Amino acid sequence: MEILLLNALANGILLGGVLALLAFGLNLIFGVVKVIHMAYGQCVMLGMYLIYTLRSIYEVPLLAASAVAVAAMAIWGALLHLLVIRPLLGVERLNQLLALAGLIIVFENLAHVIWGADLRGVRVDLPVVSLGNLFLKTSNLLAFLGALAVLGILYFVLQRTYVGLAIRAIAQDTECARLMGIDPGRIYLLTLTIGGALTGLIAAFFSPIYSVHPHFGGSFTLMAFIIVVLGGMGNLAGGFLGAFIIGVVTSVAAVFTSTEVAEILALVIFILVVLVRPQGLLGARGAR
Amino acid sequence: MKRWLPVLPLSAALIFPLLKVSPYLLHIATLIFIWAFIATAWSYMGRFGLVSLGHGAFIGIGAYTAGLMFNHLALSPWVGMLLGGGLAALLALLVGWACFRFGVMGDYFALLTLALGEIVSLLLVAFREQTGGSLGFTLKRVGTSWLYLQFEDKTHFYYVALGFLVGALLLWRWIDRSKMQKALRAIGEDEVAAATLGVTTIHYKLRVTMISAFVAAMGGVLYAQYVTYLNPHTLAGVGPSLDIAFKAILGGMFSLWGPTVGTGIIVLLEEYIRVNYGAKYIGLSQIAYGIALVSLIIFLPKGIYGSLEEKLRRKRVLPKT
Repeated sequence: MEILLLNALANGILLGGVLALLAFGLNLIFGVVKVIHMAYGQCVMLGMYLIYTLRSIYEVPLLAASAVAVAAMAIWGALLHLLVIRPLLGVERLNQLLALAGLIIVFENLAHVIWGADLRGVRVDLPVVSLGNLFLKTSNLLAFLGALAVLGILYFVLQRTYVGLAIRAIAQDTECARLMGIDPGRIYLLTLTIGGALTGLIAAFFSPIYSVHPHFGGSFTLMAFIIVVLGGMGNLAGGFLGAFIIGVVTSVAAVFTSTEVAEILALVIFILVVLVRPQGLLGARGAR
Repeated sequence: MKRWLPVLPLSAALIFPLLKVSPYLLHIATLIFIWAFIATAWSYMGRFGLVSLGHGAFIGIGAYTAGLMFNHLALSPWVGMLLGGGLAALLALLVGWACFRFGVMGDYFALLTLALGEIVSLLLVAFREQTGGSLGFTLKRVGTSWLYLQFEDKTHFYYVALGFLVGALLLWRWIDRSKMQKALRAIGEDEVAAATLGVTTIHYKLRVTMISAFVAAMGGVLYAQYVTYLNPHTLAGVGPSLDIAFKAILGGMFSLWGPTVGTGIIVLLEEYIRVNYGAKYIGLSQIAYGIALVSLIIFLPKGIYGSLEEKLRRKRVLPKT
């Protein structure tokens, strides 16, 4: 019993690391561009298909395939900005949300037409790491460490570089930042490009763990939302905390009940947070 | 003149099966009626700014309540429809009250309802002993029976679905003429101002939400009776929930005929591609529809029919009805 709980906790924390990366991307886009990217998880799904195709059909080494996916998804993110998000900037919030939700249909069916409905996975044989009674899959451990490293780099970029300062300035007050000579258009494009590259990275971390199918992204988009709302929309630290809470809650609940109950639990937490504390755990009052 | 305009499409729809058309065409028309019925129900609240992305929850509850009651207790789906509708309205009351009480609006309301639809879908999968989980279950066949709402001949169901759709459109008109419409429009424009003028905002929003949920649940029962198969992924969850909303938005949720026109366009497009390019490329129509939808929201926020209507109205400069 305790061993089961311990393993569930450990795996929840590992999952939380990758979820934190997912939530970071969504949060960054929301914080800077003020748009809820409804199809974010679907972008991860497309990245995973790209890695699968490169790996299984063209027999590219996994690392190289992952690198290509990161670059391709960065371009994809920039394209999305230019084609969809930029024309939507002046529109009502609700219409932005609906248009981006429309992208879910486009992406999922794109995957369906190209790759079909079957599960596609990249086979990787990695040993299981055991620490006493604790058994951890190497792929999960690598994803966790990789995600933390990327988050660290992103944090450094945001806090210590000129570009990071510009991004934070736009997030705080677009008009003021414009007066300081920062071009919001360019920062938006940059943000969506970084967000796109992140989906490629997440796809690389997920590929050895999960098999991908056209509806793969759905549950992760929802999960990312739950985390972002839990931590407070646009609040990066809150998202980080939220990712681990949701990661642990779902993985413990999944072990003791079922995956459906675990997901329901996460969704109920989401609804309660939206109702009772819409500014999130770490958000300031009046964020809505 | 304008009053009698709806008679034209209605009589065309009534005569249609008499033209000895193929069962296939009747099938497509029936599907359009059923989903237009649901999309119209969605628009009851959608057009007042209550955009729900969780109507899959309501059609799922309706369909599964009536379906399970029929299979296990031989309860007539007509009764099941009222029961399922009642349950859906109860859920709408609960969630709606919480949302309106805590002031959840706009995109937060949309996200919250999206989660609601997914919860119902997951519950239907989780109770797999009763519901058959992801595989769903089939309704028992009883041949042609009005009591059990099953027909071997497609014509019967065609008229049933048409009748329901007309009912939903009449209900729209009824809402339009009632005090509710004025109150809700005032709320949609400026909630605080409406409240200070003495409009009990929560009361009206709840009422329209419950009506919408009840009617949508009836539509779920209708669809399940027609295909005699229930599946959590076609009747609840994110997919169907978005589909319902998008059909209404594509046609134009602010106009009486908008949701019907939107549903017609989408179903016909889907079928056209499926027939001409095969089932493998069924996704193509969905891609086209997704892209059309995204561009529509960018360029024509009132929907296809809604924008058309507005243009006609401007040209003719009709006096306000």
